[in-house]
Amino acid sequence: MRYAYFPGCKIPHHLPEYGSSVEAVCAALGIELVKLEFNCCGWPVRHENELASIFSAVRNFAIAEEAGLHILTPCKCCFGNLKYAVSRLEEDRKLALLVGSLLARDGLAMPRSMHVSHLLTILDEQVGVEILQRHAATPLTGVKVACHYGCHALRPGNVTGFDDPLAPTLFERIIRALGAETVDWDLRLECCGHPLRGRDDVISDALMRKKLEGAASAGADVIATACTYCQLQFDKERDLLPVNAALRQAPPAVLVTQLIGTALGLDSGAVGMDKNNIPWHAPIL
Amino acid sequence: MHFFDFGLSIASVICVAGVARRIALWWRPTTKPVSDPRPRPILSAVKALVLDVLLLARTVRTGPLRWLAHCLVFFGFMGLLLFHALDETVTVSFFPAYESTLDPWQFLRNLFAAMTLAGLGLMIYRRLAVRRLRAVTRTQDWAIVLAVGCIILSGVFLEMSKIISPAAYQRMADEYFYSDNGQEVTALKAFWAHEYGVVFSRRLPSDAATLEMGAELNEDNCAACHADTRSAFLSRSLATALAPLSPAMNTSRADTVFWYFHMIFCFIGLAALPFAKFFHPLSTPANMIARQGRRDGDAESPLAQRMGMDACTRCGECSVRCSVAPSFSVLGNPDILPSEKLASLRRFWSDGSLAGRPLADFAQGSRICTECLRCTDVCPSGINLQDLWMRSKKEVARRSPDPNGAVRLMRPSQRVVSFEDCNIVPPISGLADNAESYWACVQCTTCTSVCPVVAVCEDPSTDLDLTPQQIMNLLRMGLKDQTLGARMVWSCTTCYKCQEHCPQNIRVADVLYELRNTAAARMGCGDRAGIDGESQ
Repeated sequence: MRYAYFPGCKIPHHLPEYGSSVEAVCAALGIELVKLEFNCCGWPVRHENELASIFSAVRNFAIAEEAGLHILTPCKCCFGNLKYAVSRLEEDRKLALLVGSLLARDGLAMPRSMHVSHLLTILDEQVGVEILQRHAATPLTGVKVACHYGCHALRPGNVTGFDDPLAPTLFERIIRALGAETVDWDLRLECCGHPLRGRDDVISDALMRKKLEGAASAGADVIATACTYCQLQFDKERDLLPVNAALRQAPPAVLVTQLIGTALGLDSGAVGMDKNNIPWHAPIL
Repeated sequence: MHFFDFGLSIASVICVAGVARRIALWWRPTTKPVSDPRPRPILSAVKALVLDVLLLARTVRTGPLRWLAHCLVFFGFMGLLLFHALDETVTVSFFPAYESTLDPWQFLRNLFAAMTLAGLGLMIYRRLAVRRLRAVTRTQDWAIVLAVGCIILSGVFLEMSKIISPAAYQRMADEYFYSDNGQEVTALKAFWAHEYGVVFSRRLPSDAATLEMGAELNEDNCAACHADTRSAFLSRSLATALAPLSPAMNTSRADTVFWYFHMIFCFIGLAALPFAKFFHPLSTPANMIARQGRRDGDAESPLAQRMGMDACTRCGECSVRCSVAPSFSVLGNPDILPSEKLASLRRFWSDGSLAGRPLADFAQGSRICTECLRCTDVCPSGINLQDLWMRSKKEVARRSPDPNGAVRLMRPSQRVVSFEDCNIVPPISGLADNAESYWACVQCTTCTSVCPVVAVCEDPSTDLDLTPQQIMNLLRMGLKDQTLGARMVWSCTTCYKCQEHCPQNIRVADVLYELRNTAAARMGCGDRAGIDGESQ
C-alpha cells in the first residue's frame, strides 16, 4: 500500500499531532506515505472563487499522477473538495479545458485519472478490521466513542462516494475493531460548525454546542474525529471558551489516529495525546 | 585624492545614517502586546551563525543551483570586500608582506570576481527561467544584480586597462627601476610588452637576447612586487580579447576612466546599502541569528517581527512554492504570493499608505492564505512569515472586510438592493441563473427543515433574512440579485444536508456557493468603480 500523502494546509502549524499520529499509524499498519509537494486542496477559496478552487484541486491530482500514486488524505474537507473537483470536470467539458490550459502554464498535464481516498476508507478497505483487531495490543475496552463523520466526506453522497450518506457505518466499524464501544448518537452526521469560523462565530459556536451536548447525552466518553477542521473546532476552538464554560466538561475530541495509535501501543510522542487542549486519557485496565 | 575622499565620505554618511534609521525602526514603540518567545540557549545562535549565515544551510534546502549561486556571490564578494577593498586594514594585518600586484592576491582577486560574476549569471538565469519568479521580479531585484555586477565588471576593466597601460608601466618604472642605459630601458619594456601584456605605442624588439636581458632586469627590479599578469586571468584575457582597442584606450587614459567608474559604482553600492533589498546582507544574518535555526511559526516579539520583515531578500522561493499559488494563477493578484504580500504588509504597518485597490488586494491575499507554514519552512532567510500573517489577519480584515464581512456590515435594506447595478459574473456560474436548476423544486421546505443553521437560529427570518427554500424560490423567479446579500447565503455551513435530502435533487448547497462567488465578484467590481471615482 503506497499513497501520496495529502495532509492539507492546517496540519503543519495548527494540528501537527494529526500529522504525526497519521504517519505513526500508517507506518505501523504497513501503509507507505509518499510526501509530495502538494498545494492547497482549494476548499477554503471555494467561497470566493470556484475556478481557483477547482484548479487548485486538479493541480494536486496532476502532481500525484506524475508520481504514479493515488492520494490519501486524513482531512474530510480536503477529501470532499478533491472529489467535488473530479465531479465538476466530468460534467463540464468547457471547465475541463480551462483547467487544462491553466495546468499547462505550470508545465503540468491534465491527469488522466484522479483518485483520492480518505484515511478511514483505506483503513477499512485496504487494511481491514481484522488486521486492526490483531494489532490492537492495548484495546480500548470500555471506552464509549461517539463517531463524528464530518460533512464534506459524507455529502453529497453521489459526489464523494464515501459511505451511505444517510446511514454510514464505516467509522464505527473501525472504532469497534479497537475494542471500544460506539454510542448511538443522533447528531453524528451533523456539521461541527467550523466552516463558519470567522464568518459567523455565533452560529459556529451554536452548532458546536449542540453537537457536544448531544454527544454527552448519548453517554460518550470521547468524540472521535477524522478531519482536521472538526478536531480544530471541538478541541482548539472549544478551548477558547471561558475557563468555567460547561461545554469544557462535554466529551473531549480525539483524533481517530490518536485512538488507533493508543490501541496499537505506539509511541506517545507521535500519537500526541498530550497536545490536545481538552485532555483525555485512555483508561488503564 | 579629492574625488575619492569626497565620494567615500558622502557614500559613508548615507550608508551609516540609513542603516541607523532602519535598525532604529526595529525598536519603534508598539501598541501590540509583547509576547515572550521561549528562551533558547545562546549556543543555538552560534550554531545559526555558522550553519545558516556562513554555510547558507537554509538555502541548501531550496535547491543545489540556488545554493551554488548564492555561495558564489557571497564568498566571491566577501573575499573582494575583505581582502581587496579593505586590504590595507584586513589583508595587511594578517599578511604584512601583502602587495596587491603579487600572487596569490592578484590571482585571488580574479577568482573572487569570476565567482561573483558566475553566481550573478545563475541568479539572472533563474529569475528568467522560473515563470512564477519572473512574475514577482521587480526593479530592485534587477538593481542589486546590476549594482554588484557593475562593481565587479568595472574592477575587471580597470585592472585590464592598467595591464595594457604604458603610463602605468612608466609610473612603476620611475619608482623602482633606476637605469640610464637606453638598452636596459628598452629590454625591460620589451619584456613587459611581450610577457605581461603592456601595449606600447612604439614597436619594441622581441629577439631572444633582448627578452632575456629584460627577464633578468625584471627579476632584479620588479618581481619582488609584481607577479606575472597571467595570474590575473580575467583581466589579462579581457586585454587579449580587446587588443585591437588597446592603443585607443591607452591614448584616452582608460585606466583613469575605469578607475572613476569603479569608484563611482562602489560608492553607489555603499550608499544603497540601507535601501530596499540592498539591506539584506545586514538584516538577513541578524534575523537568522535571532531565529536560532527555528522553522516554526510561534509568536514573536515586535522587534523580531520587524527584523524579519527587513530580512527578505526577495528571492521568491516562498512564492514559487506557496500552497495557494494556484489561486494567484486564476485571480492574478500578486498579493496572494508571500513575497509580495510581505512588501504590502510592510506598507500596511509602517506608514499606513495602503488604501483603495492595493489595500483590497492585500486583504484578499491575506485571507486566501491558509496558514500552511510552508513559506516559513522554506524561507532561506529564516523569516517567521507565519507569525506575521497570523498577527496581521484580523487587523487587515477590519480595515478591508472580505465579502462576508462586507455583507454583514450592510443595513438590511442595502443587503436586498446592493448588487443590482452590476452584472459581473464569476468565472464558473450558471447554476443559479439557469431555470432548469429549479424546474423540479416543489417548495416542499425539506432543505430548510434539515438545515442545521436554521435549526440553531431562534428566529431565522431576522437572523438569516431568508431560509434556503425561500432562496430557491426567489432564484426560480429570476430574482437572484435579491438573494446575494441574504445572511443565509453567507451563514451556510456547507454541510450539504439540504442537497442530500432534497427529494427533487436540486443542488441547493452548490447554488449557495455560487451566490457567494457572484457577490464576491461584484464587490470587486464595486471597488474598482470607487477607485476610478477617486482618481477623477
